[in-house]
Amino acid sequence: MATMTPGRGLIAWRRNRSLIGGLLPAASLLSLFFVAPAIWAIYTSFTNRALVGLDARHPRHVGWANYERLLHSPAFKTVLINSLVFVVGSAVIGQFLLGLALALLLDHGEHRGYRATPFVYGSVLLAWVNPTVIAGFLWVAMFDFYYGSLNKTLQFFGLSGVSWLGKAPMLSLIIVNTWRGAAFVMIIFQGALRTIPSQIYEAARMDGASAWQRFWDHTLPNLRQVAAVVLLSVTISTFGAFLLILTLTNGGPGTKTEVIALYAYHAAFQSRQIGYGSAIAAVMLGLNLIFAAIYLRVSSPKI
Amino acid sequence: MNRDLFSRRSLLKNAAGSAGAAVAVAQGFSSAFAQDASPAAAPPSGTITVSYPDQAGLKPKYVTQAAESLHSANAGTTINIDLENVGDDDFYTKLLLALDSGNGPDVFHMGGNSAGELADAGYIEPLDAYLAEWPDWAQFYPASVQSSVQYKGQTWCVPYGLDTRFLYYRKDIFTKAGLPSDWQAANVADILTSAVQIKQNVPDVLPYALYGGQAGSSGTADHAFVPLVWAYGGEMINADGKWIGESAAIRKALDYYVQAFQNDKVVDQEILTTTKPWTAMREKLGSGGLGILFEGGWVYGGWYSKDKAGTEANVGYTLFPTESGGPSFTIGGPGTCWYINAASKNKDLAFAFIKAFNTKDIVAALNAEDPHPAARSDAAETPAFKAQQFLLDSTASLEHAKFIPPDPNYGKVITAIQTVTGLVADGELSAEDGVKRYTDELKTALGDDLVATES
Repeated sequence: MATMTPGRGLIAWRRNRSLIGGLLPAASLLSLFFVAPAIWAIYTSFTNRALVGLDARHPRHVGWANYERLLHSPAFKTVLINSLVFVVGSAVIGQFLLGLALALLLDHGEHRGYRATPFVYGSVLLAWVNPTVIAGFLWVAMFDFYYGSLNKTLQFFGLSGVSWLGKAPMLSLIIVNTWRGAAFVMIIFQGALRTIPSQIYEAARMDGASAWQRFWDHTLPNLRQVAAVVLLSVTISTFGAFLLILTLTNGGPGTKTEVIALYAYHAAFQSRQIGYGSAIAAVMLGLNLIFAAIYLRVSSPKI
Repeated sequence: MNRDLFSRRSLLKNAAGSAGAAVAVAQGFSSAFAQDASPAAAPPSGTITVSYPDQAGLKPKYVTQAAESLHSANAGTTINIDLENVGDDDFYTKLLLALDSGNGPDVFHMGGNSAGELADAGYIEPLDAYLAEWPDWAQFYPASVQSSVQYKGQTWCVPYGLDTRFLYYRKDIFTKAGLPSDWQAANVADILTSAVQIKQNVPDVLPYALYGGQAGSSGTADHAFVPLVWAYGGEMINADGKWIGESAAIRKALDYYVQAFQNDKVVDQEILTTTKPWTAMREKLGSGGLGILFEGGWVYGGWYSKDKAGTEANVGYTLFPTESGGPSFTIGGPGTCWYINAASKNKDLAFAFIKAFNTKDIVAALNAEDPHPAARSDAAETPAFKAQQFLLDSTASLEHAKFIPPDPNYGKVITAIQTVTGLVADGELSAEDGVKRYTDELKTALGDDLVATES
């Protein structure tokens, strides 16, 4: 008589069911709040759905028309270049380097027991805990040409005001976004620095390694995988940032600070063309996936 | 201000003609709407929600007054008031998302120019059946006012205060600059000439404000680009209902931007990036820091309530000139109106609220406080309303008003205008390239079939 033995699939299921059960709540929430809207946006991008007019009442499928329109739009190239400058300037260079520098300084301060360390930590964190709109208006209050505190200060000393947002709009935005996002990078790196065993540094010191050599040979390699995750995170969040720019320049002057996320917002909620705005958002999603693939590839451990 | 120009001829007589032309365009479309709802004869009952934006704080007491009078006349009614302390643009986006999902308030408050796009979307209820049962509509609302809120042959909302605009100027700054304090721009170019003179002789003030780009919001179109196109003898939309992308007037209007921002440099570049630049510009004109500004008639109320004597002495206002003539026209509109949500479950009570708000007393008092020409002719005859010269001039200005057609595509056109004026004002495009870009933007947004070119 043949013996009934469970199949390979059943064995795998039994082995993994606790794992699947544990992942299910998170996977369900992610599907509900991230995957489903993304699928909806991709679907909508193939329609002429609008918030007003006949297209709102009777939306219809338009194939690739929204994507063709985007590719032929005179603004699209400018918007992509602006996005690249903003991401590289404020996320890759600004937030990443400043956040890393702050984490190293605070780590050093903690080891030396400097009393100012918690105050520096708190003040950097303040920039991050503010809601984005408040952070944006805080800088509007400083940059504003007519009533801003920077120009009022200059006027107090008999100097004429500077058009911060008019003459150097992208640089101003990069400064603001760097200020706002550096705290996040700092926190992550601080955590990562604490995981590096102190014996490594003690051995390096005994071998006569300088501070720079210790940083280059020991700190950086230990931060590599965290750095990739941080870079991925700040790149994606900066690529999708629009509220700060909306508050400060609204994409102007001209299209000098119109980035892709703001362009999508303007198309969907100012021009009320949800289908076209969704096509822009879908392109953003594709670009973010490419960023993610590159970062993960670069950060994967080499065997 | 030139009193001859603003003679007290019949209210809105010419406005009727202008609005009629706009309506003729709208009526060119075939009607595709269902029959009007029939108002019930029974007294209103139940619950409704009334939603409206207000940041100036002038309307809430009148909305509450209307709700209370409706409730006391009909004990079984409940009027929930949803006052949104945000700007019109922000309110409109939130409202559209609610309407799109089949929700939203029963009654809401929005610009009458939005009637076309809201009606096409199926968001709002046609009001003709209700208005036919309301004697005040036929008796006190002039034909021009009625036609300004019609689209595809139906009436979609009820206005109470109409829009007009003025070219404001500071008399004290003009005097210092060696310009006449009773200034009447000889033509459009004279606005820039005068601004240059202010820049040279009164260097510590801003000579002129001209809205452009995204930052100017709808003001970039309504308070800047559209009046310029009309001043240069052009039109925004042709008799076939197509938006004009390329024309001599549009080229001249964009060249005016180049002149103002790049050549004469009489407009601050910061107007293109300042958040809600109209807030700063209005404040500056009122306080004597800005020479010339084309803005809504309602703006005068803010200055007047702060400093009555100073405003009367120093703030001059006139109509917009044309390429070849002095003060000639303004831009009129139905102003903010009350709409009924097509998805409302209690449209009878919703209309009862609109009637309770649009009484002679409330319309007169609100428009006297927040200066607009009154939509009701009997409200314009009250002593409180007639006591204010500015209100009389505002009402008279509508005799010279041109109206923006209630076309559902106007929102997309505004975006194209913002893009191109921003690029031209910032020096990124020449006027000639700006015209081409404007045509491209219109074609991309509306489709080639809805865009026309004129020589």
